[in-house]
Amino acid sequence: MNDVLVIGAGPAGLSAAIAAARQGLSVKIVDEFYRPGGRLLGQLHEEPDGVWWNGLAEAARLDQEARALGVNISCGVSVYDIARCDDRWRISTTEGEWESSLLLIATGASEAAVPVPGWTLPGVMSIGAAQVMTNVQRVRVGKKGVVIGVNILSVAIARELQLAGVHVEQLILPPLSEVSGKAGRPHEIMRSLLRVAHLAPSPVIRLGSKLMGSAWMQRLAVAFFPSKGVRMWDMPIHLRTAALEIVGTSQVEGVRTARVTPEGLPIPGTEQLIPADFVCIAGGLSPLAELAAIAGCPFAYVPALGGHVPLHDEYMKTPLPGLYVAGNITGIESARVAMSQGTVAGLSMAQASGLLADDSLLSQAQLQVKRVRQNATIQFHPDIAAGRELVGQMAAAWTAR
Amino acid sequence: MDAQQVIICRCEEVSLEELLSTAREYQCTARELKLRTRAGMGCCGGRTCRILIEQIVEQATGQVPTHTVSLGYQPPVRPISFQTLGGKSS
Repeated sequence: MNDVLVIGAGPAGLSAAIAAARQGLSVKIVDEFYRPGGRLLGQLHEEPDGVWWNGLAEAARLDQEARALGVNISCGVSVYDIARCDDRWRISTTEGEWESSLLLIATGASEAAVPVPGWTLPGVMSIGAAQVMTNVQRVRVGKKGVVIGVNILSVAIARELQLAGVHVEQLILPPLSEVSGKAGRPHEIMRSLLRVAHLAPSPVIRLGSKLMGSAWMQRLAVAFFPSKGVRMWDMPIHLRTAALEIVGTSQVEGVRTARVTPEGLPIPGTEQLIPADFVCIAGGLSPLAELAAIAGCPFAYVPALGGHVPLHDEYMKTPLPGLYVAGNITGIESARVAMSQGTVAGLSMAQASGLLADDSLLSQAQLQVKRVRQNATIQFHPDIAAGRELVGQMAAAWTAR
Repeated sequence: MDAQQVIICRCEEVSLEELLSTAREYQCTARELKLRTRAGMGCCGGRTCRILIEQIVEQATGQVPTHTVSLGYQPPVRPISFQTLGGKSS
């Protein structure tokens, strides 16, 4: 029997396994995908300092380091249940059952859907699926595509598609509906894009973003948004165009669009048909916490972190005995934050086993999480710090009961 | 295509219109909406439509999400074969 079981071989799970194995714990990781790395596998982008972030290389490095420390990594294994029995956690998987006294859930995030009429046609996929096909499986998703949903993730992945030689015709908004939320409102998109405008290669956009601090400037900018869209990171972003319907008989043939008002309402007489053979829907990410829910872990609803997250403290420990969480299951942030959280979780589990030689390692790792978060080039949400504080307070209150 | 006819739950083929009209008529919780329409009860376990069902309830009734997860999770959380469920490895 292993000391530690880790569910998820992404940046958080691998980093936790490495940290725990270094302290002498025996660790087993299971992952649903056929190779380790999680969402790292798809990531490829240029940082503001000109250095490229190559997720494939990061994943390979973590994988090698974990294996060198004797970590057992089982890929292609799905966990479908977890239960507490006799002071241990038992996970039920497609390859059998395993038990350990310490369990880390590092299952990451899942993509949110934005329903658009016609979204069940073949050729429609989530933006994350397009990323995996392009950067991991090296399969061409199509010749010409439209991305529905303008957010940090969709702009970054659309850029990756272009680097791979896949043509992205336009990034547009979803139709305003009961299920589109803020994603259908140009005002809201403008606000969220301004948070990453400092990353834009164009000095005009960078300068513009500084001038747009006030709400009325933002409204003005949305009202006068050029009908041809703007090119940000060389991507054709259209904040005043929305998809009305994805059309095609047996597969995607195009997207019917219309110009929209700054509030997101279609303007009559502005309809167009954009020919396309694939469509990516980008609704953002939310923490994938189903296994924590089954375990009976209490939750906090924190929109800044992407939705419901399992309660946990600064040691990445949940209120349940021996149950830890790390990475995007605790809130949507970058892979670097996930890695640093994983290290904290791994060291915490070593401490719980009485095998942590030096307690200062753990406090240093906790400081590192904060440092990485502060220096993040992409801040996924402006209220992450406040959201994290709320989760910590709720976890403390729960434990004190 | 009428935008209200868009499918929200693919497994059980439940449309936005059906979910909205049910949520408005019964002013129900996400769980009740699930039970009335079967949205989210298909073979995938609501992996895609879970969040949408909660959004629809919020839009139709004004109920805002609480810290408690409104739509519960039941094992198995992944589609598995009867053979696996019966204790044999796949």
